[in-house]
Amino acid sequence: MQNKNPKSEIRNPKSTKEPRIVITGLGIISPIGVGKEEFWKNCILGTSGIKPIQRFAIGSSRSTLGGQLPEIDFKTFIKPANLRRMDRIGKVMVSAVMMAIDDSSLDLSKEDPHRMGISIGTGLGSSDTVDQFFRSILKDGPVGAQPLLFQTAVPNAITSHCAIEYGIKGVNITFSHKETSAEMAMVYACHLLREGRADVILTGGGDELSEPLHHVYSRLGALSPGKGQGFEGMRPFDRDRNGMILGEGSGILVLERLEHAEKRGATVYAEIAGVGLSGSTDGVLRYDQKGDSIARTMSQATKDPSLVDYISAASNSTLDLDRAEAVAINKVFGEKAKEISVSSLKSMIGEFDGSGGVRACGVALSLYQGIIPPTIGTEHLDPDCALNVILGRSKKREIRSALLNSCSNGGSNISLWLRSIDY
Amino acid sequence: MRKRVVITGVGVVSAVGNSVPEFWISLIEGKDGAKEITAFDASPYRIKRAAEVSGLDPQAHFTGKELRRFSRCDQFGLVAFREAWKSARLDQDPIDKERAGIILGAGSGGILSVEKYFRDFYQGKGKPSPSLLISYSLATSTDLIANESGLKGPRSTTATVCSSSSASIGVAYDLIQMGLADVMISGGSDSLCEVSYSGFSSLKLVDPESCKPFDKRRQGLTIGEGAGILILEEMEHALKRGAQVVAEFLGYGICADAYHLTAPEPNGEGVERVIRIALSHTGVSPEEVDTINAHGTATPFNDIAETRGIKRVFGERAKEIPISGIKSMVGHCLGSAGGIEAVATALTIKNGIIPPTIHYEVPDPHCDLDYTPNQSIKKGVRVAISNSFAFGGNNVCLVFGQYISNADSGVRNAEQKSEI
Repeated sequence: MQNKNPKSEIRNPKSTKEPRIVITGLGIISPIGVGKEEFWKNCILGTSGIKPIQRFAIGSSRSTLGGQLPEIDFKTFIKPANLRRMDRIGKVMVSAVMMAIDDSSLDLSKEDPHRMGISIGTGLGSSDTVDQFFRSILKDGPVGAQPLLFQTAVPNAITSHCAIEYGIKGVNITFSHKETSAEMAMVYACHLLREGRADVILTGGGDELSEPLHHVYSRLGALSPGKGQGFEGMRPFDRDRNGMILGEGSGILVLERLEHAEKRGATVYAEIAGVGLSGSTDGVLRYDQKGDSIARTMSQATKDPSLVDYISAASNSTLDLDRAEAVAINKVFGEKAKEISVSSLKSMIGEFDGSGGVRACGVALSLYQGIIPPTIGTEHLDPDCALNVILGRSKKREIRSALLNSCSNGGSNISLWLRSIDY
Repeated sequence: MRKRVVITGVGVVSAVGNSVPEFWISLIEGKDGAKEITAFDASPYRIKRAAEVSGLDPQAHFTGKELRRFSRCDQFGLVAFREAWKSARLDQDPIDKERAGIILGAGSGGILSVEKYFRDFYQGKGKPSPSLLISYSLATSTDLIANESGLKGPRSTTATVCSSSSASIGVAYDLIQMGLADVMISGGSDSLCEVSYSGFSSLKLVDPESCKPFDKRRQGLTIGEGAGILILEEMEHALKRGAQVVAEFLGYGICADAYHLTAPEPNGEGVERVIRIALSHTGVSPEEVDTINAHGTATPFNDIAETRGIKRVFGERAKEIPISGIKSMVGHCLGSAGGIEAVATALTIKNGIIPPTIHYEVPDPHCDLDYTPNQSIKKGVRVAISNSFAFGGNNVCLVFGQYISNADSGVRNAEQKSEI
């Protein structure tokens, strides 16, 4: 399997026909389900994964809710000997990768490991491990520093675990840029596949909800009801929204060129047909205020706006972002905006930096099955967010293509345009 | 057809200089930046040395409010960015900001501020300011720079720690290739902090004395800090505005050992692969490579694996290629290591001088190449590569070339151009 001729890395560099990048496998671990089936069933039902936080003490914060993962028996996914060197988020990521590989029917023994890659987005990887390590040196000084904790405290440890577990020797990269982390990982994966620098890339993202993370968001006033009035809750586009609820989980996608997928007879969920990236400059903790930048990313990503039937929104129940995204959607699509179904999966799973992985899996399933999951928690649509938001119940409709939006506070905006393979 | 991408501006903050000219003179004179740690209280530690940034007056660069909000990492990043931005003349030339973006590499980021917060919080010392938590995200330095300079193009942050900023340069190049930007800021910033210091100490990877890459007596790294920022620009865009070109960025390779969480693959197989991928990606033949900026952490295993990898690629010729281990001077700057080393590599090409590996005295039979011991050498350099390897075997190799305009036949020819 050794790649003897590295020159072959770039195949057909002069080919004028743009290769098509498709999604052929999904691995999901989320607050509303472990595995594609359970996740999707709950998505369609509009089940909330948001509950009072139980894994750690909330302290004095007024925000008590979180989208938490259920207890998972990782032994069903990972060999016990290997489990020992992984922390909780490491296990979550490796398990999600395993599910994605399984789902894609990829036979690893038939793939060149040097032409398989992994590109992951995360906030901090294990914020919990960093915290444990720090508390230990705080308590015991230098002797408290535990090497085994330190090696998993780096943000890329989750990616390395996956590469080591499955012998993935090609591209290996980790991005961390707030709420656009996983989307960037996917953009990069698409580019490498398009250039022929890999055959298969596992991509997506993941994060864990931890005590320090919750504390930081709470102190920065980002959580519901840390800011504003009213009761605590996740309700994107609602007139009474008052901040986000944090979540956790991992979503992994198997990406490959259509030609490679067809050759091995893989199921194709959807194609990633366009990407858009831009920045806004309204402040280091602020989202794009006017929606200009979000509009630009959507326009850049969408090669044919008339085909857009669904937008998986970045909106996370914060005042600024939900309004700006609504403005941007209306700006880009004008009159047609009314016909586009909009929904935010974050209403069910909560917000986290690497949430793009789970959300992208959701869009792929929507395109494949023709069902759009609802935005839950939202009761009174904000007149400033005049969109066709799917509320309460999922909606069956033909979806020719969909946009996955992501926006980070600080100002990075990324959109991916996913297309049904039939159009 | 790939676009050509050139470097039109560089900026540095490091233990051996807080500007590019100062940094470069220190490198070619072989100055060691290691000193006693002051960034945090290192008194409980047996070894208290690090290549700490000194002589940078924060008040000269930032307002009081900014200083309360910006972490040490943010400050280094902003200072280096401003130098790079200015040296690229982007403070004067009007450019389309929607086509100018930024991607930096992060290591521990602003965790020094976060440590301050949680130290007080966990020890019950009052209510520490939430301003210290703005740096909790690894993206903060990137966002601060973008917000200061009004960059409205693509924006992200890579987080592979020791190879982060090298990866960021590679991704910046790709974003230009994708047609999403004409100008990309890349590189990285990182600062000392107790978590990474105690972590590397606990893994017994810190040398109690000076950092001695490839020397038989080496016992590990000296932790460093600072920022290295590069402005990558699509060549036609740079030429149109008459920008000065430092060097060309030809492309890169990226891959994984998939071997171990902290140790490199011992035979240099991962190192070999990443260099080969980089050369094949750029269409450069091994014969064209005139110098190598090594990862050279001075840990016993890295230096052997890297030496073996280089020999596997270059064969007999490996012995003739001068290798530079500048971590002996600037320390291992983690998230900014690749950026600082990329600046050094670009300057090596521009100036035709290869910086030395200092503290090199006792050859190791396992590391038997030319590491440019203690003295810089003058040599025309057509192509230089810079290696970065991270925990988990995340490998990156960057390829830089002397800039030759399309009019000059496109053949890189060192002898004609850069012998000083």
